[in-house]
Amino acid sequence: MVKWGLLAALLLGAALVAFGPPGAVAERAPRYGGTTPILAMTFAHSDHFAVVACKTCHHEFADRLMGLPCMTCHVTDAKVSGKLEEQFHTLCRSCHVEERAAGKPSGPTRRCIACHLPDDET
Amino acid sequence: MPAGLVGFVLATGFLVRGRVGGGWYWDAGNALGFVALAGLLGQMIALPGPRELRRHEWLGYAVLGLAIGHAFWFLLGDGAAWVYLVPGAPLYMWLGLGGLLGLAALTVLARMPERLRVHRRYRTFRRVHRWLGVAVVIAAALHVLLSGFYLPTWPQSALLAGAVLAACFGRSMLRRLPAVPVPSLGSYLVVAVVAVGVFTLARNLPPW
Repeated sequence: MVKWGLLAALLLGAALVAFGPPGAVAERAPRYGGTTPILAMTFAHSDHFAVVACKTCHHEFADRLMGLPCMTCHVTDAKVSGKLEEQFHTLCRSCHVEERAAGKPSGPTRRCIACHLPDDET
Repeated sequence: MPAGLVGFVLATGFLVRGRVGGGWYWDAGNALGFVALAGLLGQMIALPGPRELRRHEWLGYAVLGLAIGHAFWFLLGDGAAWVYLVPGAPLYMWLGLGGLLGLAALTVLARMPERLRVHRRYRTFRRVHRWLGVAVVIAAALHVLLSGFYLPTWPQSALLAGAVLAACFGRSMLRRLPAVPVPSLGSYLVVAVVAVGVFTLARNLPPW
């Protein structure tokens, strides 16, 4: 009984990983002009205007690289594309955690699918 | 013992940013994982006598069930979590998966008659069972520590790491202390339900 239960759980887990779970699913695919498969990310400027200064995220304003959408460099420039996940997790999530810790309304702190959805703004 | 151990493991996460949660669903799933980790530590600390082996076995099934529940909770309820179990996933996820598979092997290979098929001698079985247990606990602890969400500061990590090291390698010291009884399955499950509820509520109720 225990063995069969474990085998069933193992097969179900493998099927979930191989085919994805039911419902909305995030998938890695080449996006934003890059060739490396990455997850979609959703972002709404309207949710951030009031609480985050533009330059917090838009370093290109200070670097005088105006004109290109953020993701163009972050998925095509070999110097930073490998760090995409780490950089954006740090940038977005650390700010959300600080806001949550301060008792303020915040974006998602951990739930993956809350951010990794197709973006309505692009 | 189950309440104390589960309380200790959860308390390490409440020392700093204890009110910061990842949402009801996320925190409930991770509470299952923390309770499973506490159960694993309990299994390592307790010294089951001949009459307590049955309790040790049933507690093992409960810990494995909670660990499986923790993994499936996210696979079924978060459509992006499965991406973290395919090539390119961070190390802490591989450690979590490895710990879970190790725990399944630990459980199955300790049952009769499987145990006799693998180990003819009881002493060999005990040694392998113990060291596989150590590997599983360390993998599970690193899964928690490297993910860095609930234990964001080094003192919290040090507390959990100390508990893990004491449970895994402090057996000679523990032998001098009064024998730690193996908790019953019922008491562990009651503590688990309460702990998951408290953990989830504390991190998600609005500030008072």
